[in-house]
Formats: sequence, structure tokens, C-alpha cells
Amino acid sequence: MHLEGTVNINAPREKVWKFLTDADFVAQCAPGVKEMEVIVPEKKFRAVASVGFGSITTVFNTDIEFVELEPLDRAKIKAHGKAPGSAVDATSELLLSNGPEGTTDLKWTAEVAVVGTIASLASRLMGPVTKKLSGVFFDCVKGKIEG
Amino acid sequence: PYAHARIKEIRTEKAMGTPGVLAVIDGKTLEQYNVHNMPTLMSDTQMVLPLDTVKYQYQEVAAVLGTDRYAAADGVAAVEVDYEPLPVVVDPFKALEPGATRVRDDKESNHIWHWEWGDAEKVDSDFSNAEVTVKEQIYIPRIHVSSIETCGCVAKWDPIETHLTLWMTTQAPHAIRTVVALITGHLGLSEEKIRVISPDIGGGFGGKVPAYPGYVIAVAASIVTGAPVKWIEDRTENLAADSFGRDYHITAELAGKKDGTLTSLRFKTVADHGYTDAAANPSKFPAGLFHICTGSYDFKSAFVEVDGVYTNKPPGGIAYRCSFRVTEAVHAIERMADVFAHEIGMDPAEFRMKNFIQPDQFPYKSALGWEYDSGDYHRALQKAMDMIGYDELRKEQADKRARGELMGIGISSFTEIVGAGPSKHFDILGLKMFDSCEIRIHPTGKAIARFGTKSQGQGHETTYAQIIAEELGIPADHIKVEEGDTDTAPYGLGTYASRSTPTAGAAASIASRKIRDKARKIAAHLLEAAEEDLEWETGKFFVKGSPDQAKTIQEIAFAAYTDHPPGMEAGLEAVNYYDPPNLTYPFGSYICVVDIDRGTGEVKVRRFVAVDDCGVRINPMIVEGQIHGGLTMGFAPALMEEISYDENGNIHGANFMDYLLPTAVETPRWELGETVTPSPHHPIGAKGVGESATVGAPAAIANAVVDALWHLGVRNMDIPITAAKVWEVLNERGAVLEE
Repeated sequence: MHLEGTVNINAPREKVWKFLTDADFVAQCAPGVKEMEVIVPEKKFRAVASVGFGSITTVFNTDIEFVELEPLDRAKIKAHGKAPGSAVDATSELLLSNGPEGTTDLKWTAEVAVVGTIASLASRLMGPVTKKLSGVFFDCVKGKIEG
Repeated sequence: PYAHARIKEIRTEKAMGTPGVLAVIDGKTLEQYNVHNMPTLMSDTQMVLPLDTVKYQYQEVAAVLGTDRYAAADGVAAVEVDYEPLPVVVDPFKALEPGATRVRDDKESNHIWHWEWGDAEKVDSDFSNAEVTVKEQIYIPRIHVSSIETCGCVAKWDPIETHLTLWMTTQAPHAIRTVVALITGHLGLSEEKIRVISPDIGGGFGGKVPAYPGYVIAVAASIVTGAPVKWIEDRTENLAADSFGRDYHITAELAGKKDGTLTSLRFKTVADHGYTDAAANPSKFPAGLFHICTGSYDFKSAFVEVDGVYTNKPPGGIAYRCSFRVTEAVHAIERMADVFAHEIGMDPAEFRMKNFIQPDQFPYKSALGWEYDSGDYHRALQKAMDMIGYDELRKEQADKRARGELMGIGISSFTEIVGAGPSKHFDILGLKMFDSCEIRIHPTGKAIARFGTKSQGQGHETTYAQIIAEELGIPADHIKVEEGDTDTAPYGLGTYASRSTPTAGAAASIASRKIRDKARKIAAHLLEAAEEDLEWETGKFFVKGSPDQAKTIQEIAFAAYTDHPPGMEAGLEAVNYYDPPNLTYPFGSYICVVDIDRGTGEVKVRRFVAVDDCGVRINPMIVEGQIHGGLTMGFAPALMEEISYDENGNIHGANFMDYLLPTAVETPRWELGETVTPSPHHPIGAKGVGESATVGAPAAIANAVVDALWHLGVRNMDIPITAAKVWEVLNERGAVLEE
């Protein structure tokens, strides 16, 4: 499943970059995150997140890694989550560029593959729910940085 | 969760720490006893539990033994498995491309086998000389039998007696016992130490023929723990991991003349078998009886090719209420008959009448080598047309079309091939496919009859008792019918493929006649008459010309234990193992009328007339019950059921929310009719009826839908014909009715 979007954030690139690469900050915005543990600072993290698809809620243990970091410009993130009978693999790319009047444009893409019980039981909800969750995440990011 | 992955590690500590969990078994545990793999009926290998890779989503990886179902479920959730995902092959056509990921490490490619049958050269020449040819791609999707009762067993190993009792929901208890003995013989579990008991079963439909990993694990677990072990699938396990039916991609071509005469048939098929060829197919042909695909028509030549393919899916090839690919064959030929008729602008009923095998051609040798036993196809179709008022419906259709309304009439004039089967065509691991009946008449004239088959709700107890009652004159309620216990029933191959009446039903007749032969001797002794002076009238022997001098079967039975002729053994019993001389060929004509909602695409089956000819009907109510259920199971895949997979191999349809079964609300009212053309080789002329309706119905419905849409340029619609699919087709053609 391919997802993408662009958010304009009313803040300079340095500030946006700093927030997006800060696990604690990201944890505040990522929906359903219950715990966030730093494994290698600024590189590897482990998160426990609960995700609901309709009536089904599953707790994923997720390993997150920044695989490529080009400060202020680009970040590539890989995530692998596991739950009993289900798994999720995601690769996401964040591209920062200068927006108008000192703002920052954040362009993001994500490839998400969900397999297992969740994928077969909630296949019809997968697209809308994932879109909604990413919307929630980036709205939160924008709000927190700007606020 | 993965459809294809390497297992890096299975960690069981947490599961073992779960309250109530007794043991966790994985492939390595089973490997110690060399029971981690099992052979399939098609001489392929099926994993019981994997050692290093999983090949489809929901494949069993480990088994947890618990003190109850809840403890075991908690234990399952606590088993931790690390996987390394591997590329997934879902599409069988992509699986055949060079460089495709191999599903099986132990095989050269994803191509399992190629099989062809018929005269290719003659077909090529008939096609190049034909005035008309038609060609369509027809996909018959994967479906699941979804019995109301899932599969399950209780294995009880007695370490003192070294004896295994296995209660299980199998359609073929004897064959399963032999298979278990063959798989576990090296562990000392020989056949006399195994008792398989198949109790009342809540539906089989072919899905309870195979041996599933759960059975083997339960047996192994009981032997290891010394405790009885129960395994019952939950609904999702049943829908996602049991074997499936259908999944045939058919390129179908017909050739013929402008006047509507069919000459030649050419079908090329890609068969998706999943990760192992575990087809429940006891025939000598890899694609089962698919070459019955010339159907009810007198083709001069025919050629079929089938290629079996591995994909990352569970095993396919269950003969879902169907004799080994007959449904696929019938659907393809009946769809194509309509395509040909429409192509030349001929009425589909008239077209069928023109091409049917004539009644005087029976026994008829088909272009692909089958010998049809008997048939009268014109009579069945005419009866269906009369019942439904065919000509008036065509007029109504024309009027409606002029008004822009969509109404279609679909016909399916199918010929089945059932009753497996003659030993020249069939065996299971070398076991010939006879079936058996053993009758014992008690001194008081009551009887017990035991069979090698196994009812799953078909009413064998009634049908068999009636056959014996008819042959011996003992009232049916004085006959106890027993099946399913390998320690007491005579050996038989089980119930599927509409084979019980053609094989065990025939055995019941023959065994009864053996008893009658002995009864005649006893009667002659009692009446002090010569045997040849006695005449049989249901229930008694009497002296020719003096009907008062008679002995009833009950009196004879008593004498068999009290006053039998000197030199004769006491008792009155017989057994027969019946190897049928030929298959039987039930047939019928179904006509369906549909109305299509131009706003939503919804297909409404307005009427459905089913005329079945299954030879002599033993119990009409049971026959009609079979047809009612069968039609519903034909209606379901035509409009609702499909198991599909996404590109990652995630199954869609692993629960009853996504896999739609019709309820009484969706099911149309069935209108039944009959003709009777006895089978010439069956002792009482019966042919079997368990599957006809499931085999014949989908094409009638699909033909009705295409009939409604042909004028819009629609030539084929693959089942299930959902409202969304029809709406899409209407939308593409600008034919959707807006508000």
C-alpha cells in the first residue's frame, strides 16, 4: 500500500528536522504509541503501539530505524512491527524543502505492507484506517511544531 | 502471518509458562519421529509442521497442548516466531514465468505437471476448417466447502494396550486408517492397533476427505503425553488453512458450423494447486475427471490440456461437492455453449437440442473416451422448458429489453460423471475404489447392515435400509444401518463423489440377493419343495401355483438359526464388495431467470427450475433434499463466494463476514422436476445425486446474467457475479440507470 502527502509547517527547517528525528516527540504524535524505547540514540527505537481496525485492536511491537539521514533534507525510515499472527513492514521517506515565507514543506511517502490476521480480517478497512492515522500523525506534528 | 517466509527461530518459553499449557510441538519435535511430513493422495509432500519455511498464510507452525481450549489459545498467542519474509507467488501465471520465485525448494520449478488428453491434430484441423469458432477466458475461483462443523478429532492412545482410537470427522474412515498406518507404521502403529470412528458429521462436501496436519499432531501428541488429545479447528483456521476447491483458469474454445452444429472443443487450463498437490483425486488422471468437459454434446473431436502450478496458498483440489473437476468441466462447457449460440444468433435451448447426444446413441463413447451409460437429454430440457414457460419468458424478455430493462434466461444442460469408481480408472494408494455392504439377519428377522461409506447427513440410514427392504422384504425400520467404525464396518473407500448409492448401494443389493439365494434353499427345505419350484415375491418364497404354501423372510431367518438344512452352515448373512463396471452419468437441465437492477447491478434470481435425472430414485424426499441443498451450494459460488488473495498472499475470506454464504433470505425458491433414465449397469438403476445440483447450477445463473447483458457486448462474466462486478460492466457501457 502506497501513501503520500505534503504538509506545510510554519517553522524553519532546523526546527522541523530536530522534532522529526526526536523519538520522544514522534511518540507524542504517533497514534496508539504506549511506550518508546531508544535502542541506539538517533538511530534505532522500539515502540509498543496499539492499532485498531474496526472492532479488531492489535498491539504491535515495532522496531524503527533511521536507515538514511541527510540532515535538514531527507530521512528514510524503516519499521517492522510484530503482533501475534500479524506483521507490518513500512518504509517511509521524509523530504524537507523551503516553503514560502520561512516555512517548511514536508513531503512524505510510505510503503506499507500488512500481513496476517489483521490483513485478512480487516482488509476492507486497511486503506481508510491507514490514511486516517497518517493524517492524524502529520496534523499533530504540524500543530506541535508550530505551537 | 506471512505467505512465504523462512522461520529463523521459534521461542516457546513464554508459551510453556502460560497456565494450563502442557506442551508446545513444532516441526523439529515431529522430525524426531519422522512425522513432520506426510504424503498427499497425488504423491506430493505436505508439511505437518514446518522445519524451516512457511508456504502460505495461516499455515500451522506450532501446536500448543493445553488443559482446555482457552489455555491452548493463550499459549498459541505466547509462541514467538521470528520470520524472514520471502517473495510471495500468488498468481499462477506469474508463477510459470521464467525466473519466478520458486514456491518449493525441493522442486525444479513451480510447474507441477502437464496433462493432455484427446486428439490434438484432429482438433487443430477441425478448428481450421470451422465456419465459427468462439473463445473465452473463464476463471472458476477458489472456494471453500465451509461445512457448519469444522474439522476435528480426538486421539486416544492407550499405552497399556498399545492401541489408538481416533474419533474424527472423516468422510473416509477406512482409507484414513490405512494412511495413518502407512505414515506411522515405523513407530509400531500398525493397522490392527488403530480404530477410526467417524461419528455423525456436520457436513463434508469433500473437505473432510484429506488428512490434515491437525489429525497427525493430535495422534503424535496423544502418544507422547499418554493423554487423550482433542483438536477442533476454529472457523478462521477452517476457512484459511483447509484444502480448497476449484481455482481453474480455463481458456475455452469451441468450433462448429453456422447452422449451430458443434464439431470440436479445445480447453487449456492452468490449475492453481497451492503449495502442494494435495488434490483429493483418486483417479488415474492428474486433473481428475475434467475430460468430461464435452458435456451433453456430440463433439467429433476434443483436446484438453491442464498444467498444475504451485503458488503460496494452501492446498487446492478438494472436490467440493463434485466428482474431481466435474464442476469446472460443466461450468466451462455450459458457459461456452451459450457463447456459441449467442454468437450465431441462435436460441440457447434450440442450440442445445440440436447438439445433444441422441437417446439412441447410448451407451455413448465421448470424443475424450468416456462411455456414458444412459441419457435422454432432450426430454429433460423439454420438461424444464415446459415447467418454466420458456417461450413466454423469451417474449417477456424482448418486451423488457425494448423498455430498457435487463432480464436474462440461462440454461445449463449438464452431464455428470460420478460413482468412483471402476478399478481401471481409480485407486487410493493402490486401494481399488469398491465399496461394501455386510448384512446380518437376526433370528427374529430383523437386520443390521454395515457399510464402508460414511454419511455426512445424506440419509444413508434411510436409503440403504430401503434398498435392503426392497430386495428382502424386511421393513426398513427393522434394519439398523451402521457406518464409520473401522473395527466393525467392512472395508470401503468412503463417501464423496456421489459414490455411495452407485457403489455401496449396489453392494447392498448384491449382498441382499446373496441372502435371498440362501433363503431360497432354506425355504425349499422348510416347504419340502425343490428350489426351482419356488417363486419370490417381496418378503416371501412360495411354491409355484400354490401361493398358500409360503415362507416369509422372517420365518426363513428363524429357521436359519433353528432348522436349517443338514449340511448347511447356520446363519443368514452376506457381504459384498462392489467394484462398479462403469461410472454413472446423472444429468439434468436447469433454467434460471434473472432480473438485473440497472441502478445497483444486483442480480435477482426470479425463478429456477431444476429437472434432474439421477436414474431410479430410491427415496424421492432425500433426493429432493440433496437437490435443494446442492442448488443452494451452486447459487452461492455463482453470486457470492470467493476466496481471493492480495499480492502479499493475505487471504480475503477467512471469516463469514468476508466469505459470504447464502442464508434462507438470499436463496431463491427452487422448482424441481424429474425424468428417470435408469443406469443399465447398476443393480437397481440408480446413479447418485449428491452433487448434480452444485455442479449444474452455477452455469445456469451465469448464463442468465450474460443472456441479459449480451446485447451490451458482454460475452462472459466470471463467478461470483457480485453486484459490484455487474455495476462495473454496466458503467463501462454507459448502461447504469441514474436516479
